[in-house]
Amino acid sequence: MRGTRFTETMLGTVRLDPGGPVRRIRLDLRARAEEVLRPHRTVRARVDGRVRVAGLADDPDATGELEISPLAGRRIAYRLSFTAQGRRLTLDGWKSVTARHPVRSMTVLPFSLYEDGAPIGQGTLRFPLATGLAPFLLSFRFPRHEDGDRFLAPRWDGSPGRTEVWYTTLTDPATGTGLWLHHELVAPTDGSAPTAHGWAAVFPPEGKVTHARFGPVPWSGPTHGFTAGDVTAGPGRLSGSAGDLSWNLTEQPAAEPLFTFPRWSWRRPLLPATHMLPAARATYDGTFATPDGTLTLHGAPGASARINGHGNARRWAWLHADLGDGAVLEVVAAVSTRPLLRRLPPLVFLRLRHRGRTWPRRAERSAVGLLGVGRFRADIGLPRWTVTGRTLLRRIRVDVTQPAERTLALDYRDPDGAPAVCRNSESADATILLERWWGRWRTEASWTLSGTAHAEVGDR
Amino acid sequence: MTAPGLVAALLADTGEEEWPARVPGRLEAFLSALPAPVRGAVRTGAGAVDAYAVLHSGRRLNALTPDERQAVLDSLAARPRLLPILDLLKVPVLLAAATERTPAPRPSAAPADPPLDCVPAAEWPTRTRADAVVVGSGAGGAVAARTLARAGLDVVVLEEGEHHTTASFGTRAPLERFTDLYRDGGATAALGDPPLLLPVGRAVGGTTVVNSGTCYRTPDHVVDRWSGRYGFHLADGLPARLDEIERTLRVATQPLDVLGANGLLALAGAERLGWRAAPLRRNAPGCKGSCQCVVGCPTGAKQSVQLSVLPDACAAGARIVTGARVLRVLLDRDLPGGPRAAGVLARRADGSELEILSPLVVTAAGALQTPALLRRSGLGRHPRLGRNLSVHPATSVAGRFAEPVTSWSGVLQSVGVEELHSRGILIEATASPPGMSSFVLPGLGRPLRRELEAADRLAVLGAMIADRPSGRVHGRDRTLVRYRLDPRDGARLIEAVGAMGRILFAAGAQEVLTGIPRAPRVYTPTELDSVLATLTPRDLHLSAFHPTGTVAAGGDPQRAPADPEGRLRGVHGVLVVDASVLPGCPEVNPQLSIMAAALAVTENYLEREVSRRTSTAA
Repeated sequence: MRGTRFTETMLGTVRLDPGGPVRRIRLDLRARAEEVLRPHRTVRARVDGRVRVAGLADDPDATGELEISPLAGRRIAYRLSFTAQGRRLTLDGWKSVTARHPVRSMTVLPFSLYEDGAPIGQGTLRFPLATGLAPFLLSFRFPRHEDGDRFLAPRWDGSPGRTEVWYTTLTDPATGTGLWLHHELVAPTDGSAPTAHGWAAVFPPEGKVTHARFGPVPWSGPTHGFTAGDVTAGPGRLSGSAGDLSWNLTEQPAAEPLFTFPRWSWRRPLLPATHMLPAARATYDGTFATPDGTLTLHGAPGASARINGHGNARRWAWLHADLGDGAVLEVVAAVSTRPLLRRLPPLVFLRLRHRGRTWPRRAERSAVGLLGVGRFRADIGLPRWTVTGRTLLRRIRVDVTQPAERTLALDYRDPDGAPAVCRNSESADATILLERWWGRWRTEASWTLSGTAHAEVGDR
Repeated sequence: MTAPGLVAALLADTGEEEWPARVPGRLEAFLSALPAPVRGAVRTGAGAVDAYAVLHSGRRLNALTPDERQAVLDSLAARPRLLPILDLLKVPVLLAAATERTPAPRPSAAPADPPLDCVPAAEWPTRTRADAVVVGSGAGGAVAARTLARAGLDVVVLEEGEHHTTASFGTRAPLERFTDLYRDGGATAALGDPPLLLPVGRAVGGTTVVNSGTCYRTPDHVVDRWSGRYGFHLADGLPARLDEIERTLRVATQPLDVLGANGLLALAGAERLGWRAAPLRRNAPGCKGSCQCVVGCPTGAKQSVQLSVLPDACAAGARIVTGARVLRVLLDRDLPGGPRAAGVLARRADGSELEILSPLVVTAAGALQTPALLRRSGLGRHPRLGRNLSVHPATSVAGRFAEPVTSWSGVLQSVGVEELHSRGILIEATASPPGMSSFVLPGLGRPLRRELEAADRLAVLGAMIADRPSGRVHGRDRTLVRYRLDPRDGARLIEAVGAMGRILFAAGAQEVLTGIPRAPRVYTPTELDSVLATLTPRDLHLSAFHPTGTVAAGGDPQRAPADPEGRLRGVHGVLVVDASVLPGCPEVNPQLSIMAAALAVTENYLEREVSRRTSTAA
């Protein structure tokens, strides 16, 4: 289900007391609705933003609600609460839509101001058509709202030659320790019974990387996630043991799902493999026991991811970087094992969720560009690998360093038995530079992660 | 000035007195308050008479001598078909003349009115919210506002008219108040056969500001009919609610001390005939007999709702916005279960608009305005909306007595003669301020002037008829009322004229003025009967009062636009509490019936809301 987001700016005047001065007022609002805006229905949205009243208020944390009903109710109602010199005021008004004056009625917002429910003033706000219409229309987004838990259910349909992965990576903010839990279902190509196996790994900031495997055990066919013996990976919970490692974690999703590959490839598995995150960011609580002691996690940032496909790539690189303030970067660059495709350079799937938006807007953009032009490029190597790319007005450069002492090399095996080697670090370093074109390339944002990036490079 | 020549001719002005010269100016001021069609008709009529004068005498009326003017009028009066039209021209001239002839009122020491929370629409914010909006502050709206406010709801009453205080009534001439207090300056009419003058009030307090204060309880047989035949089951609870309303309005039988000669003569005449008659029950404790009920009681004795009910409503938190005409009930159309009222859109006098959002809209704009409001709001689809209009067609008769009666000194509507009430005829001794009676003095020019000079010897009776619903309210932005008098009701009117004549003769009247242009005077009951035998209702000067039933409540969804609980069908959150919700003619002055029905509808709504919330919470 999709929602609606847009921004709106309105300017006007307000008079607080009869006979008092007329003050200028400006609203800069962000609206978020849980459903798609439909003009013939009533849609309610939450708004937040900034309210400025000349000489009285400048509150960047105004909140309220919006009732958008241009045809059914013939009004667009605003109710905002904001603080003015310590007083909590409420702005309540609505545009009254009429076919006789479509423009005026859609742009003029008479309102009243209340303090503790008592009216203290009134005014009129106007939407500035000349300067505000284009930003207003361009601001519309219709993001999906999805329950990430449903992506944890197994996708395997009984076909031979399939691999399905549930993996979780996180960083303990207290100690800087990186953790990796890998759960894998393998349906061999020869048609033999599917098995479940996996491993856990610990990446302490100091000291040796350790890991332990569990399984393989016969696949028991769970419906909500992964199960292999005492190891489970389901909605909101991860538990189990492998060797002398054991864990018992709860997972709190902190963001919407993020599809690293095109969404359609998850629904219809036409690509050799596909990758997505049920929650682009998550936090973890619980315990993770190692021979050197037990880690107690409180709000540890990380993410769980899902892979569904036919096996491992011929060559690949992966990065998950929690950039703070809700931003997250997910990169998969891979070369397929399929004939012809194996001759191509790495296809880069880069997804940057930043300030509530995901860039590039379509996953295909970074992989294949526009008809093959302008695709993102990856230079895969160790200990350093890079990804670069640009769209029309924005470009990015990602540098990942996986120091050898903080990297774990593991053998992978495809459903057909072909081997691969993975070099993983849950305490990698990364620098990310995001630039935007505005006459020249200007830095829009830059991030440096020291030991908190989760990265992996694999080859054969 | 309007038609100074016609005024001088009709009033037989010889220039010896000063006041007739002021009448054209007063007439101009009066006409300016009337709707343009009425104003145009009066001016066209005056112009036609002037043109006739040019044809008759070579000059316009204004340039003629008094004798020549009289000759022109005599020539016109010789054509009986023109007399009804000339009577229509006489009405505004006599109104203006009475105002100029009567000394200006002395400012009286009126008691202070109970406080109201009135806010002019210009000062009311453009956007507000409330729990309930009541459209109209008359009998029904006031009771609804009080009931809802006492239940804790935030209530806003929207009133198209203005708030007039008792003190303001005492300082202004009756005609000035008349044009302010009535819709269209009192010129509301029902078109039809015959046309009826149908005045309705427009002020804070609605028509209760300008009614006579007569308070009849709804007759039992009417209650039974509303409940049994129409399925308006709330009527079953009316008796108890009528008790409460009577207590609120302090209804009591009018004492004889200030009754006035007009009422005493009616009592005497009825007694000699052996007919049932008594002083009326009224909501005017301490009435001083000012005889100005129809232009606002200048002593504050009459307990109009702005003095009795609305103060309680305001004390409970209700607010009244004056000078705001409600254009539309706002609707939310996409809610599950069908459309729901969301508030109202109203227009201020300067043309700007204001809106109040409210989940409950109570319409109390009166039986003539509520249908139009609902149509403007897209709620007028029910085929019976605006139909089923009942009024009380009324006519009046005057009797000339040897001794002065001075009917305008005493209680305006004082005595009820109920002998014929079982046959749908209610006779009430009804005087009025000079010139404002629906009774039109006979004659043109000098005969009219003589009647005017001798008006203090006239006693006036009025009769109203319980009709069959025969009218319909058309229109969205401006109402058009059509009414076709039922033949049964026409016969009742003729019978009523005869009954009133008999009462006046029995009381000692020397002659009875019938108000019928072609037989203006009769001297014996026998002569009256012979005149009436040749009459049709079209020959009478008819007025009508008490419009009801245009959004009738009832059990049959096909016939009643409102359900048995007074909720408008086809929408949630709209209550109808004015006279339009009454299923049929109340057969008596309807103020108590309207108020009790409004009380029943709103109390029932509150009970339903409480039970709904309780079940939701459970």
